[in-house]
Amino acid sequence: MSGAPSSNAPATKLTSDASKDKNAEPSKEQKPAANNGPLEEDDEFEDFPIEDWQEEDTQLPGGNAHLWEESWDDDDTNEDFAVQLREELKKLEKK
Amino acid sequence: MSTIESQLLLEVNKAIQGRHAHQLQSILVIEPPFPPIYEQLIAHLKTKYPRNNPSSEENLEHIVRANVSETEEGEDEQGRPVPNWSPMVSFLACWMSFIRDVNVENLLETYERLSDLQQKANSALQHATKGILILPTVIAYANVFSRVAIGLDKRPELIAHIVSAASSSDEGRAESLPEKAANILRNAFTTCLNDRNTAPRGITPQGKPDGKKIGIYKMANICLRILFQCQKLDNCQTIFNNIQNSSPPLHIYPASERVTYLYYLGRYHFACTHFFAAQLALQRAYDECPTVSSCNPQRRLLLIYLIASNLLLGRLPSPSLYTRPEAVGLREHFEPLAKAIRTGDLALFRRITSLDLSHPSARFLSRHRLFYQLANYCEIFVWRSLFRRVFLLTGKQGDTDRSAPTLDLHAVLAAFRLLETRARNMTPAMEKADSGGPGNRHISLALADFSTPSAAAAVDGYEYVDEDFDGVEGVVPYVHSPDIMEMEAICASLITQGFLNGYISHKLSKFAVMGARRPGGAAKNGFPNVWAVIKTRSGEEVFGWKEGAKGGVGPGMGGGTVVRLSGARPAGA
Repeated sequence: MSGAPSSNAPATKLTSDASKDKNAEPSKEQKPAANNGPLEEDDEFEDFPIEDWQEEDTQLPGGNAHLWEESWDDDDTNEDFAVQLREELKKLEKK
Repeated sequence: MSTIESQLLLEVNKAIQGRHAHQLQSILVIEPPFPPIYEQLIAHLKTKYPRNNPSSEENLEHIVRANVSETEEGEDEQGRPVPNWSPMVSFLACWMSFIRDVNVENLLETYERLSDLQQKANSALQHATKGILILPTVIAYANVFSRVAIGLDKRPELIAHIVSAASSSDEGRAESLPEKAANILRNAFTTCLNDRNTAPRGITPQGKPDGKKIGIYKMANICLRILFQCQKLDNCQTIFNNIQNSSPPLHIYPASERVTYLYYLGRYHFACTHFFAAQLALQRAYDECPTVSSCNPQRRLLLIYLIASNLLLGRLPSPSLYTRPEAVGLREHFEPLAKAIRTGDLALFRRITSLDLSHPSARFLSRHRLFYQLANYCEIFVWRSLFRRVFLLTGKQGDTDRSAPTLDLHAVLAAFRLLETRARNMTPAMEKADSGGPGNRHISLALADFSTPSAAAAVDGYEYVDEDFDGVEGVVPYVHSPDIMEMEAICASLITQGFLNGYISHKLSKFAVMGARRPGGAAKNGFPNVWAVIKTRSGEEVFGWKEGAKGGVGPGMGGGTVVRLSGARPAGA
């Protein structure tokens, strides 16, 4: 990639006192969930540190691995949930 | 003797003469701290053109006209007339008063002054031949202006008086302050989009965007950033319409603009429940995002919406996806939902999507504005898996070679009742106790009778009394419990959407599986692959995404649609 990308896009000086750089905060996901509080803000899609790049800059080492499971039907009738379900359905048959 | 302001204006004139748009931008700075030469200029402006003197503005315009001869009408190299550029005069005068007065402590005033300055810059941008010289300046100001607008929106105490004044005087819906900013910036976006002084279709022979069209996606992305941050997604539609109608193709723009635009476009389609279109846009953005670690925040956000879109299309994240650096911590938020879909665990699904947000994933999903879509549109996949699971456990092969395997809908009903009741009765503490699995369960789980609807009524929050009858003596709260009609309705809905292959015998309350003798048997052919079903019926065109010469015609429709037939009368009744 041409030019080592520096840090994130600079926060504009005019606004530094208005919207504190929320990315500087420790990850919000680590905070304990307070169920009654207001919803946290939507994350902002930051400006890219570079304007343009080439296709090779988007390639992962090892290529684009398999990302999605399209056939995921679960035939395992011995796992916990299936066992409970089977017990319940047996009761029905006895009736 | 030339003054400091006239020296600076002569520099401006030189930049225009040389058609150096970026040099012009570097002169017309607006953000403190200013370099020493500007501090001198500001001091001079304060004495010679003080803020409180009503004629200062006129005097400033006068010195602009005197020094920036490029704003006069003239002729180009071929002798064709070039109209005057008066909006540039007003803009330059406005810029000088802006830097004279700017005070970042007063955010609201800064916003108002920037708004004025931005509008004047937008007007200057409209000049047919010279307007393009101000484009980099317009974009740089737009970035600052959008930050101030978003910043103000997050400080409601600063704008409370404006908001209340607007809502009491205006009819209908008052425009919020960030929306006003977005509308101002959209004017510049439209100017870029409609530039006629370009090569055919706005593309240079080298395949690059020509003229002001170079600014289309930069301006669109800034507008979209404001509208998303302030949750005014309705307002985005105009931008996508305009781009669909008159933009050059997206692929000729720089990668950062493409990826950012496709992020917003994908999220917009996601919010509108066009999940297939969302998936196409987000997947492309994710694929084109650099893998360098400094771009991890962008990759992570793209991945979050991409995972959600795929869940809604019946594709579940693979284990290897979660090993990527940008995916740290995402498994815990998405895997419970994927598990509920995979296994048909309706109780788990109900707990994840409980509106009290008590499930550990719920806050995450809400914060990213995924909760509504996932809670409302994934349920049918859970239904399908539960039907399939009950079929595997209790389905009957046909009596003869020619008769179809069947699933008794009463068995499905028993499963639904068990799981619905279980979801209601499980408190978070019980759920935690349950997490130990068989042999490690808490005693309360062993004793709780999950199978009767009356047990559910004891739990607050699941009893319903219409507010008109609240407190009236003798009113029995309503507790929903699925019945056989609802099972038939759900089954019919799944058949209609292509997620079950077969038919219902209303008389026997059974679902008969079709295609059981084809390879794979009933479990495969009776329960078609969700992703394959959705993919087949979805278009590849994404509204708002211009590719090549052809334009898309409409948003790709995708995702499951909940068709509730509980109120419908059975056929023939």
